Amino acid sequence: MGIRKIDLSLCIGCNVCVDVCPMDVIRMDAASKKAYIKYLRDCQSCCLCEVECPEDAIRVTALPERIIVAAW
Amino acid sequence: MNLENQTHTVGDIDVLVIGGGIAATFAAIKAKEEGAKRVVQVDKGTVGKTGNSCFAAGVIHVSFPEDDLDDRVLRLTRAQGYLARQDLIRDHLQDSYTILEEMRRYGVRLVMNADGSYWRMAGRGAYPIVSFFSTQLMDALRTYAQSAGVEQINRLCLTELLTRNGEVSGAVGFHQRSGDFYVLRSRATVLATGGTYYKGIHPGHRDCSGDGFGMAYRIGATLSGGEQNDQPANAMPARVDVGPGMNKWMGEGAYFLNGKGERFMVRYSPKLKERSGLPQITAFFCIEVRQGRAPIYMDARHFGPEQMERLYKQLPLPMREFESVGVIKDGKFQKQVEFCSTGPTTRPGIVVDRGYASRTPRLFAAGECCPPSAVVTGLAAAATSGARAGVSAARCARDAGDVREDEGQVAEYRERTFAPLARSEGPEPEQVLLELQEAVIPYDVLLLRDGARMERSLKRVETIRDQDLSRIGAYDLHYLRLCHEVKNLTLTAELTLQAAIRRTETRNILREDYPFTDNVNWLKWIMVRKEGSQQRWWTEDIPIEKYPCQPKREVELAYLWRVARDQGNVSVKDGRIQWESEK
Repeated sequence: MGIRKIDLSLCIGCNVCVDVCPMDVIRMDAASKKAYIKYLRDCQSCCLCEVECPEDAIRVTALPERIIVAAW
Repeated sequence: MNLENQTHTVGDIDVLVIGGGIAATFAAIKAKEEGAKRVVQVDKGTVGKTGNSCFAAGVIHVSFPEDDLDDRVLRLTRAQGYLARQDLIRDHLQDSYTILEEMRRYGVRLVMNADGSYWRMAGRGAYPIVSFFSTQLMDALRTYAQSAGVEQINRLCLTELLTRNGEVSGAVGFHQRSGDFYVLRSRATVLATGGTYYKGIHPGHRDCSGDGFGMAYRIGATLSGGEQNDQPANAMPARVDVGPGMNKWMGEGAYFLNGKGERFMVRYSPKLKERSGLPQITAFFCIEVRQGRAPIYMDARHFGPEQMERLYKQLPLPMREFESVGVIKDGKFQKQVEFCSTGPTTRPGIVVDRGYASRTPRLFAAGECCPPSAVVTGLAAAATSGARAGVSAARCARDAGDVREDEGQVAEYRERTFAPLARSEGPEPEQVLLELQEAVIPYDVLLLRDGARMERSLKRVETIRDQDLSRIGAYDLHYLRLCHEVKNLTLTAELTLQAAIRRTETRNILREDYPFTDNVNWLKWIMVRKEGSQQRWWTEDIPIEKYPCQPKREVELAYLWRVARDQGNVSVKDGRIQWESEK
C-alpha cells in the first residue's frame, strides 16, 4: 500500500510531490506531464506528498508495502 | 552510463554543509551569520523534507532560564549512563533557550499561551516540553536559510569526502536526476546526515542511512564506538506505517498494555510510567516480550476531543496515517495500536570537541552524526550542535586559501561512485538490505544483548561486507543511491556490533552475559578509526573527575536488571541472567 494511486484527472503536473518525497518514489511522466509512482516499494507512508499536493490528488494508506523486519 | 555523465565542479565554497535536517540547516544559517561568504547545503532529498527533522513528533526539549540547569545536566548524564560529555551537554542546555528564540525569529511557529509565553506540556521525562506545528518548522528554517544566502542543492547524493594531506577539502557525489558527477571544494565541511534505524519500522526516517559515518570513517576520522545511545531504540506502531508521535501520545496520557492486558510500565517505573525515558521503555518492552507477554499495545481510546484537537494540530501526519487505516475514526482512537521497538539507534558518531570540530582538520559534525555522548537525541540538541558547528566551520574557513584534493582522488571516487551501475547483474541492494536488517533489527541482537548472539550477527554483516558489497548492482540512479546507503548501513552495523561486543557490561542497554554496571572499569568511551586497511579500536577514559556528575565507583547489578529481578522476571546465576520463564 503506502502511496498506490495518483488521481490523474486532478494532477496538474506541478512537481511538488516529486520534490518532497524523501524516498524518491514519485516521478513526472515526460509525455503526459503527470506524476506517477515509480518506486512504490520504497514508499514509507510519510504522507508528505498527500498533504502537500495542491489538488488533493494523492491518497496514502499507512500499511507497509515492503517486507519489514521488526524487533519481534 | 557513467562515461556520459558530466562533471560539475563547485569551487570556492567556504562552508559545505551535508544534510537537510535541523542540524544541517542551523549550521548553514550560522555559518552565513558568522561571515562565511559562500555556504552550500547539499541533501540527497530536498532540504527540509528529509531525514528525521521534518517528521519530528512536535516537541522540543528546551532548558528554560527558570529550569534547574544542574538537575537537567544530571538527568541527561544519567540517561547516557554517565557516558555523556558533560561539558557539551551543559553547552547544549545553555544554548537551547536562545536557539528556541531564534527559531521564532526565523519564522518557526511554536505553541504559545495567550500572554505570549511558551505553552509547555508534559512529555517523556521530568521537564515539560515546547510544541510546534509539524512540518512548518523545517519549512520555515529552509526558507530562512535561503533568504540568508545559503545555496541549497537538492537530490545530490554525496558519496565520499575529499582530502588534501589529511585535511578535508570537500566532497563528491552524483545527482539523482541528471546522473551528473559533482565535485564540491570547500574550506570547511560540516557533516549533519543524522543517525539510522536501518530503514526499519520508522516512517519518515528511512532515508537516514548513516552516510556521514561511512564518509567520515573512510577518510580516517575518529568515531566513538556505536554501542550506546540515550535512546537505544524508539518505539513505533508495529503493523501499520505510522510515524513518530509517542512523546505526544504518552504526554496526553496513553497507556502501554502487554498481551495479558496489563499496564506493565506502572510496575517497572511507578513514577514516570509510560513517560519514562527510552532506555527504560526499550528495556521493559524487551523483558515483556522475552517473558512471552507480547504483543504490546498503545491504548489511547480514552482521549477526549480536546486532546485529539491538539494532536491533529501538532501531529497531522501520524494522525492522518492512523485515519488511513481506520485506527482513528470520527475524531477518536477506535482501536488499540500494536507497538514495537524500532531498529537500534546506537550510532558510531564522529568524535567532536566543544566547537564540534572532529579530530580530522576542517571536518565538523552536528546532530546525530556526532556520538550520543556528545549530542543527545532530539531536535534541540541537533539545533544547538548545528549552530556551534556552523560558527566553528565559518571561522575555520577564514584562514584557508584555495582548496584542492590529493592527486587522482576525484577520478578514483568517480569510478567508485558509479561502479554499481556497471554491474546491474549483481545482487540487488534491497535483497542485501533485507539480509542486513535480519542481522541487526531483531530485538535480541542489540537491544537485549548477548555476546554469542552478537558474534553471530557480526558474521552475517561481515559476509555482506566481504561478499555482497563488491558486487552490488544498480539498475538506475535510484538504485545507485540505495547501493551507497546499504554500503554505509553495513559499515554502521559492523561498527555498532563490534563496539557492543567490546562493552562487557550492562549500561542502559540490557546484556544477558554481563548484567552488571561496571563503574570501576567501564567509565570509558570505545573509539575506532580506519588506519590503512585496518580497523583500530581503543578506549579513552571519561574524565569523570572533572565532571560535576559522578556515579559511585562500584560494580553492581544494572538498574534495569534489578527492576526486572524485583518484578520476578530474572535471577542472576554464575554471572549471567537466567529467565524465570525458562527455569
